[in-house]
Amino acid sequence: MIEFKNVSKTYPGSTKPVVDGLSFEVLDGEICVLVGPSGCGKTTSMRMINRLIEPSSGQILIDGEPNTAMSGTKLRRKIGYAIQQIGLFPHRTIADNIAIVPQLLDWDKSRIKSRIEELLELVGLEPGQYRGRYPAELSGGQQQRVGVARALAADPPIMLMDEPFGAVDPINRSRLQDEFLRIQQEIRKTIVFVTHDIDEAIKMGDRIAILKEGGVLAQYDTPEEILTNPASNFVNDFVGKDRILKRLSLLRVGDMDLDPANGNGEGLPTLSDRLTVRDALSELMGAGVGRGVVQGDGDERRLLTMESIEALTKGARA
Amino acid sequence: MPSAGDPSQEGVVEGGLALLQGLELGEQPTVDWDWISRNFGDEILPALIGHVYLSFISVAIALAIALPVGIFVSRYRKAYPPVTFVTGLLFAIPSLAFFALLVTIPGVGVGPFPVIVALVAYSLLVLIRNVVAGIDSVPAETIDAARGMGLTKRQILFGVEIPLALPVIVAGIRIATVTIIGIATIGAYIAAGGLGVLIFQGISQDFPTKIIVGAALATLLAILADVTLLRFQRLFSPWTRRAGRA
Ligand SMILES: Nc1ncnc2c1ncn2[C@@H]1O[C@H](COP(=O)(O)OP(=O)(O)O)[C@@H](O)[C@H]1O
Ligand SMILES: [Mg+2]
Repeated sequence: MIEFKNVSKTYPGSTKPVVDGLSFEVLDGEICVLVGPSGCGKTTSMRMINRLIEPSSGQILIDGEPNTAMSGTKLRRKIGYAIQQIGLFPHRTIADNIAIVPQLLDWDKSRIKSRIEELLELVGLEPGQYRGRYPAELSGGQQQRVGVARALAADPPIMLMDEPFGAVDPINRSRLQDEFLRIQQEIRKTIVFVTHDIDEAIKMGDRIAILKEGGVLAQYDTPEEILTNPASNFVNDFVGKDRILKRLSLLRVGDMDLDPANGNGEGLPTLSDRLTVRDALSELMGAGVGRGVVQGDGDERRLLTMESIEALTKGARA
Repeated sequence: MPSAGDPSQEGVVEGGLALLQGLELGEQPTVDWDWISRNFGDEILPALIGHVYLSFISVAIALAIALPVGIFVSRYRKAYPPVTFVTGLLFAIPSLAFFALLVTIPGVGVGPFPVIVALVAYSLLVLIRNVVAGIDSVPAETIDAARGMGLTKRQILFGVEIPLALPVIVAGIRIATVTIIGIATIGAYIAAGGLGVLIFQGISQDFPTKIIVGAALATLLAILADVTLLRFQRLFSPWTRRAGRA
């Protein structure tokens, strides 16, 4: 667990804090997304965790211990670090890049070698093909994958990721996000993930910390809760006019409480139970009928209506 | 001879032919191959070895100074302008005057020592500049990632900054080496030895063979050193060759 305790940061030569009295907790095995407009102190907050930046006041605890209990370099070797600009070492091969932290930690050669194989496979790069290449020989998306693999190399319990998919095109970004969520299902790291993109925050976060100008925490909640009950006008504006739709994109039609279709399904569009409610709504509107039939792998057919979708959004009207 | 208003290439060709004829057929041949073969072991070779020695020692000492100074000023930027100013002044002193002035300093005298001092002084500017430029060329995000992964400052300097700066540093060493090999010929004027000995003797004895041998060997030496350093750089920075093959 990572605990921010009234953490503030004022850079030298300035009087205004860029992070102001930040207090929140990141639970083990969760992705906590720091999101907010550019310059609101997300990167500064994240970099205080591994002490690339020292807070002006307040404390950050990791598993109950202040992060100042050990030297900065020792601390950083235990915390994975991935950034938007990736920062692969251009003079080292892909394998050597991934090996950096394990080498600092004096792992033996065979262990490092098998770890490299394992990680390259995890991020979807064929080891035989990519191990010996230099970073400049990889595409941007492939370099991002190596960046993530390198951050995971020594199997740190905590990962810091600063807009890790920010530099790739939207299609690749979406793919990298999906892959990373899949990986997280396996590895269950405690992750602090920085982004300025609310959609990415909603997609990636188990919990979202929305920061506003001056580094003040505007709301800290699950994506569901932030979309349903924005705590302030600032949050409401930041999540956008389409927050109801965004909330529907968090739900799958398969998880809805729907009545069996029985004989009423004739002539209605059939929808996969894996569709998000938002996409299903789009399908219903596209088909020009207010109803559809949800079907999964089994034979069970259930009826999806506009009314059942509307019922979902009721709580979010306020 | 080409007429006025006709500066054709023929003029150049004719001139070249005349020179070649002078070389081979003139009454007193310009290159006395016989002298070369008779004196290779006891005059030419020692001059060549002396020249390699002067140049190599000078580059080595200059590098030993420029590396730490360059690393220092790349960290403490305020020190860079004064360092550039002083080394720039040294670079601007005419070489012959520099040698002559050094000789007049009590306790220095003639010989290789003042020449090495001057050659080192000459190469500092380009070497320090390239060390700084090389370190500046290291991407900021590479350094940030290195810090973020827990490398110490020392590990970042020796494991990241210097290896990545190497191509630019070696480019500086190449310029410094070629320059030093050329200027070192003047060292013979104050009895430092080297290929300059042949050149100065050739002038005073009115014996062109010695001048040509001295000059040709100095040129070859410079080219050889340049190519060798380039090879060295490519060997130690393989990523620069394979970059861009994505
Ligand atoms: N090293 C620094 N020195 C002074 N000001 C800084 C420094 N780093 C960031 N800032 C300022 O602090 C504010 C917050 O920056 P940052 O944490 O990078 O924001 P974000 O990641 O949310 O865009 C910005 O106004 C930025 O200009
Ligand atoms: Mg940022």
